[in-house]
Amino acid sequence: MKCTHIALAILAASAGCAALWAQRTGDFGFGNDDSPTNVKAEFYWSRLAYSTNIASNFGGYGHRWRSSWSRDYPKADRQFLISMHRLTRIDGRPTEQVVTLDSDEIFNYPWIYAVQVESWTFSEKEAKRLREYLLKGGFLMVDDFHGTEDWENFMNGMRLVLPDAEVEDLRSGDEIFHTLYDIDDKMQIPGEQYVWTGRTYEKDGYQPKWRAIRDSKGRIIVAICHNMHLGDAWEWADDPNYPETFASMAFRVGLDYILYGMTH
Amino acid sequence: MFQLLFKYPGAVFRKGQFVLLGKWPGWLLVVAMVAAAVGLALLIRWKLRNAAPEVRNWRAWVVWGIQSAFVALVLFLLWQPAILVAELSSQQNIIAVVVDDSRSMSIADSEGKTREAAAVEALEGGVLAGLRQRFQTRLYRLGRELTPADGPREIMPVAPATRIGDNLKRLATETSDLPVGAIVLLSDGGQNSAGGGSGISRDVLQALRNRRLPVHTVGFGKEQSAHDVEIEDVSIAASVIAESRISATVSLTQRGYAGKKAKLTVRDGAKEIAGREITLAADGRMQAEPVFFPAGAAGAKSLTFSMETLSGEENLANNTMTRPIVVSDAKRRILYLEGEPRWEYKFIRRAEAEDPTVQLVSMLRTSENKIYRQGISDPSELANGFPARPENLFSYTGIIIGSVDADYFTPLQQELLREYVDRRGGGILFLGGRFSLSDGGWGASSLNDLLPTILPQGKNNFHRNAATVELTAQGLNSPITQLLDDPAKNAQRWKKLTYLADYEDAGAPKPGATVLADLRAGRRKLPLLITESYGHGRTAILATGGTWRWQMSEALGDLSHDLFWQQLLRWLVAESPGPVVASMPERLLMDEGRVSLKAQVRDKQFQQTTNAHVTAHIVGPQGTDAFIDLTPSGSTPGLYETEWTAEKAGTYLAELTAESAGGQPQELGRDVVMFQREDGVAENFHTEQNRRLLEQLASDTGGRYWTPSELKNLPGDVSYSEAGISVRNTKQLWDMPVVFLLLLGLPITEWLLRRNWGVI
Repeated sequence: MKCTHIALAILAASAGCAALWAQRTGDFGFGNDDSPTNVKAEFYWSRLAYSTNIASNFGGYGHRWRSSWSRDYPKADRQFLISMHRLTRIDGRPTEQVVTLDSDEIFNYPWIYAVQVESWTFSEKEAKRLREYLLKGGFLMVDDFHGTEDWENFMNGMRLVLPDAEVEDLRSGDEIFHTLYDIDDKMQIPGEQYVWTGRTYEKDGYQPKWRAIRDSKGRIIVAICHNMHLGDAWEWADDPNYPETFASMAFRVGLDYILYGMTH
Repeated sequence: MFQLLFKYPGAVFRKGQFVLLGKWPGWLLVVAMVAAAVGLALLIRWKLRNAAPEVRNWRAWVVWGIQSAFVALVLFLLWQPAILVAELSSQQNIIAVVVDDSRSMSIADSEGKTREAAAVEALEGGVLAGLRQRFQTRLYRLGRELTPADGPREIMPVAPATRIGDNLKRLATETSDLPVGAIVLLSDGGQNSAGGGSGISRDVLQALRNRRLPVHTVGFGKEQSAHDVEIEDVSIAASVIAESRISATVSLTQRGYAGKKAKLTVRDGAKEIAGREITLAADGRMQAEPVFFPAGAAGAKSLTFSMETLSGEENLANNTMTRPIVVSDAKRRILYLEGEPRWEYKFIRRAEAEDPTVQLVSMLRTSENKIYRQGISDPSELANGFPARPENLFSYTGIIIGSVDADYFTPLQQELLREYVDRRGGGILFLGGRFSLSDGGWGASSLNDLLPTILPQGKNNFHRNAATVELTAQGLNSPITQLLDDPAKNAQRWKKLTYLADYEDAGAPKPGATVLADLRAGRRKLPLLITESYGHGRTAILATGGTWRWQMSEALGDLSHDLFWQQLLRWLVAESPGPVVASMPERLLMDEGRVSLKAQVRDKQFQQTTNAHVTAHIVGPQGTDAFIDLTPSGSTPGLYETEWTAEKAGTYLAELTAESAGGQPQELGRDVVMFQREDGVAENFHTEQNRRLLEQLASDTGGRYWTPSELKNLPGDVSYSEAGISVRNTKQLWDMPVVFLLLLGLPITEWLLRRNWGVI
């Protein structure tokens, strides 16, 4: 009996610790309708939760707080939303929204953000839904993948969605860099690893690649930030060791991308 | 019979003036009649106590009535009643006999004969001979023109038009120095005037009345077809936007096919561009059927509207009507001001990107002090914000105001917006949103007048809740909301559209406003799309910022969202005038070529320009090519006009260009108008006898309507006219047979009654 009581106490303590940890870092859930922050708004920062091709995740969304789609989530999202509120007239919800390709719910969120897209993969149904989303007017920003191998993996997934898509390098004069801020001189925006390595790149992604896929009318529908990690820059913007230059650039690019997605 | 009893023909009593020739005044006659009646009443009452019991009741009053009538008649005769009537002098007057020789008179519906043959037969069967006994006669043919004829047999029903009014006026004018006593018109009444009207105009009637010329009309032809479908009119805009969806209203009548279905088609050349089955209304009832179709590519077009031929139709030529239209591909520039980044802005822009005729120039407030501009023609456009000068704002043909506070505009800009609609004739569309309508303080602004609704109180009328949409009865027939051709399917399509992302309570529609669509949010039903005419322009409210879901949540390739926005914005700008507006009273010339061209010229501030040089370049059939100058109208500032004659049948295009006066003329603007001359087509329509017109013409001029069977009295009746050389004759009434009959009949009646009652 005594052993049973001890075991129960340990289990309860473990559960309590887990709950506290989850509260400290956000609920990691797919939205909570009862949350006071879950207000209705025009713009919802929508993070795409996709299936991964990593074996440990068994082809699903993986364990929520260890899956690749949730990198920097939700602090990066919320810090970015704070800047969006301060610097634009967008009526945005202060908390993020996680969207999936499981249902047509994604069509209510015409702007989505995805990270670590080197690990994404799509079922035929998911690929079709994302293709339709983009062709109807949805906008996708991808971030935080580095080097040649990641690029190939990213493109493997992208080809399932848009088989004939052509990826182009964006130039400074492109409209997407001039919607709110004129960003003519861009730099490679590193992840938090820069703080302890001093390197702006990861893997073999030495050069920042500002790329895009356009629709038949020339409008950007997929904005690709390759060899960069804007999400980390947002997340660590309040870290005194993370350079302000990178954080500022990341915020400006993010806001320009959102306004482009809301105007084109 | 009438003449046997009353001695004179009815015309004497209709046209003559009743007089009493006796020396005593007329009022004395009335007094004498009353006194006699009262005296008789007293006498009968006094004698009644001694009378037989059989007459001591109502019978006594019958006797009183008969005796009073007898005394009154005698008194009446003592005052010497008579009729004064003007009568044409014998052999000194001319009777103009006018025979309709238009093509419709060749219809064989007069007892197996053609209408023309029946008219000729009537003339030769005694009418002409009767008239010639007392008058000279002149025979005329009446069609498009009025021409003298030597004899009835010369008249053939070949004229391509019937101009009854114009030609009667001409006859009255040309014979003003001749003693014409009356006009006898033999016709089916199938008038097709130059103006397209089917009545007799006032100036024609005035010309006839000035000469006191009575027109006696003789009607030929059936008054109602047994089996026929006829297009009465087609109403369509003179100028439309290329690739837009346009509407026309076809008015038609039918006889003999009530409740049957027939197909209405619209063709551009040989190509069918629209068709729909309609159910025919009751016999003789005017039926207006809207039809929607794509305008297609730019150019001058002649559209043909046709009703399917039904079995047994008597007239097939009246099932088709053509209308000229100009399809313009001139870019309309719409200024869109949006107060905050939102999805509606993006998806409206995407919808309009597919429309080659509309260019959306937009200003988006991205942050408090930044404006993102799209669609501008050069970097300076809108660089200083929303236009504050009329020449800048008035250059746009339409304006969209999104989620923008009323206070964002200065008082000067607010006044400019009002003038933009009222004076410039532009269109403004207000969208729902966080800062729109009542939530944006528009109800308390000076622009409240412009809005088509009475905004609700308070500032919490915008809701981010789902709302579904359904069309109103007016929306079913609006080209703005036509997503599908079939009205029933269109209504269903709207009901099934995915829900709106948000909505705003726009309040109650103002009188004169039209609600095209309602929204349903929970149990609430609110107006969604409201339009209104204001001054020379128009305004509308779309009380949502959430139609973008129609694009994102409907199937890929569904055009509902884009089509709706394209149609809404085309409506907004379609009638916004340019600096030069060409117009003409009639674009369809029926059997005549007189054209009146007008141009309203305004400067960049849309003020009337009085010193412009305006020319018209007219291109027409068989190489017709003419340049003519327009001259300023004496009465209306900024209006220039001219007249021209289109000699040949066919389609004409007139381009009117205005240039500023001075040493270095600058073009102020140009406009195009299209017109069409059709010869011989009007006679295919309204082929039934228009008895109403003939009766009205006769009645208004002092003549009479005759049927062919009554014509033997015509020569006699024609004599009573004040036109020509006439004398006023006094017709004594005391010796009318009816008077003697009454003088004898009244005492005899009393005697018979008394005998019947047994008191004799």
